Amino acid sequence: MTLRTSRRATLLGGLSLPFVSRLARAAGEPVRLGTLCPLTGAGGSYGPAMVKVAKTIVDEVNAAGGVLGRQILLTGEDDQTNPDAGVRAARKLIDVDKVDAVIGTWASSVTTAVAPLCWENKVMLFTVSGADSITQMPHKGFIIRTQPNTHLQGTRAGEYLAAHGSKKVFSLAAQTPFAVDGYKVLTEALKAHGADTVGQVIYDQAKTTFRTEIDEMLKAKPDSLYLNSYQPDLAVLLRELFRAGYEGKKFTYGYAANAKLLGSVPANVSDGLVAFAPSPDVGSPAYAKVKAILGGAEPDPYSCQVHDHVSLAVLAIAKAGAVSGQAIHDNVRGVGDPAGTKVTSAVEGLKLLAAGKAINYEGASGPCKFTPTGDISNCKFRFDVAEKGKMKLLEIS
Amino acid sequence: MIADFAQLLLNGLLAGTQLAVPAIGFTAIYAVLRFPNFAVASHATIGAYAGFVANVWFGLPAPAALLAAFLVAGVVGVVSDEIVLRRLRPAGALTVAIASVALTIVLENIVRFSFGNDLRGYDLPVLRDWHWPMPWGDTLRVGPQQLENAVAAGLAMAALFAFLAFTRTGKMMRAVADNPMLAGLKGINADVVARLASFVGMGLAGFGGMLIGLDTSIDPLTGFRVMLSVFAAAVVGGLGSIPGAVVGAFVIGIGEEMSVLVLDPTYRTAVGFVAILLVLSLRPRGLLGERAY
Repeated sequence: MTLRTSRRATLLGGLSLPFVSRLARAAGEPVRLGTLCPLTGAGGSYGPAMVKVAKTIVDEVNAAGGVLGRQILLTGEDDQTNPDAGVRAARKLIDVDKVDAVIGTWASSVTTAVAPLCWENKVMLFTVSGADSITQMPHKGFIIRTQPNTHLQGTRAGEYLAAHGSKKVFSLAAQTPFAVDGYKVLTEALKAHGADTVGQVIYDQAKTTFRTEIDEMLKAKPDSLYLNSYQPDLAVLLRELFRAGYEGKKFTYGYAANAKLLGSVPANVSDGLVAFAPSPDVGSPAYAKVKAILGGAEPDPYSCQVHDHVSLAVLAIAKAGAVSGQAIHDNVRGVGDPAGTKVTSAVEGLKLLAAGKAINYEGASGPCKFTPTGDISNCKFRFDVAEKGKMKLLEIS
Repeated sequence: MIADFAQLLLNGLLAGTQLAVPAIGFTAIYAVLRFPNFAVASHATIGAYAGFVANVWFGLPAPAALLAAFLVAGVVGVVSDEIVLRRLRPAGALTVAIASVALTIVLENIVRFSFGNDLRGYDLPVLRDWHWPMPWGDTLRVGPQQLENAVAAGLAMAALFAFLAFTRTGKMMRAVADNPMLAGLKGINADVVARLASFVGMGLAGFGGMLIGLDTSIDPLTGFRVMLSVFAAAVVGGLGSIPGAVVGAFVIGIGEEMSVLVLDPTYRTAVGFVAILLVLSLRPRGLLGERAY
């Protein structure tokens, strides 16, 4: 009898073991996040740093006890800066690894390709891609982008010009899909501050000389020029502006006014050119942390943005009290509550959330406040001026 | 309005002189070898880079660098013609023309592989334009570099015309262009003349490529960008006619600039296409016909 009871007990105990362990695992089931950064291809120089930052933040959160008492499991895939490879990798992350958020897609083409997979599966997508079209997709709120779109950039350009005394701005724009829209946005921003545009010439980049375009511009007698150009055509334009004796202000994008440009034209031709680019918030402790993670070098904007992607995802889960893509979707804006206590790291925010307090997350890339379509509503820009053939920082604002 | 017109006319004339040099090269090759050699584009680029090496790496002044551009592009022209195009000539003009497109892509990428995709500028000061007061109260704007380029182009063209008119070799070239069979009967070696045509034609393309680069910057696409205008100039003037190429270059140069009076500058490139279309439908032999000289 004793023996039989013991047998039954053993049997029951034995059978129940898997259930016990499954119950135990549910509490310990990790929170699954995935990075989809370009480790190879055109973006290959950025991906490794982005992944490193994401891993470090996850490790920190795990070391501090995880989120909702669960550890975070970060899975990384390489999108190869290629939409095909990106879609395959995203499928694996979503179907096999069961991630709740895909973090860090870089190329706009990749983001565009993987976005439908994400929103159909209710997986949150955090991206650093800049194309306006991305947030115009029917993504039902499952895309968050930390890179300013061209609309925001144009607005800030207009505001800066107006604030620095420009009254009559002429635009010389390369023939691109956003030349016309860019001009419209610039005009609106200038008008809002008492200045205006006086004309635009859209030029064909394939031309080797722009004398005629410059003549057109001179006729409008502007005090400032908005050069919506790429680096090769900007080099030609700057020479011709110098030759024509144009003495007004020159304003352009940071990606056009790079070191290559300054190397290809004499210093007296490039001097005075003001360039602007989205900037991480270099004064933020979060920026300092990203810098430390990457070994002390000035971090690129994408690494800073990935720091914020991971932090936002973790904080949104903590605020929701639930682990799912939908939970992140519903709470990602709630962790940036302006009335809450300002935090700059996930660990800091998790503590306050656990104590039932409201938080206002501001990250390495900027304030991290999002419009209903998933764009950032504001971010810092850096303004540099060319002096003696080198770029010198004017301001970050 | 007068001021606009005068300035655009001047811009067009200067653009035309620059365009004329590679257009002559293109048409000279057509006159002798009877196929449109689109590799002129990459040879213009090669000339521009040869001039860059001479000017920036070896510190030679611009005129010497222009000579280097002519020689290097000419030699590359002969070599690539020997290796690639000559074997295909029996297959017909269309085959060689297509092969020349392939050749130009290969050569352009060799340049890209060797020098990278970056923009490069010559080691020359960028000078302010001169402003000439005009009777109607405005000023005409012209760059010193543009004038120098126009002079250099003029000298190159004068040298070519003298070569064709007064030297024995030049006359040989004209003879082959005029009537290859008769020239052969007279004992003129067609192979030698073919190589000479490649050398002079591609040399001029290289010279023109460097002229364009002097006024702007160079990159591996320098030649490709002007190819349409060069081709249009040659077709307008009459393929194979050297004076025709000069006339055609002025028509295209002035036409592209003047188009701004009625069109947005964005559509300037269309002028070349429209010119080709008009000439081929109204006067297929071109303004001056096909006579080589």
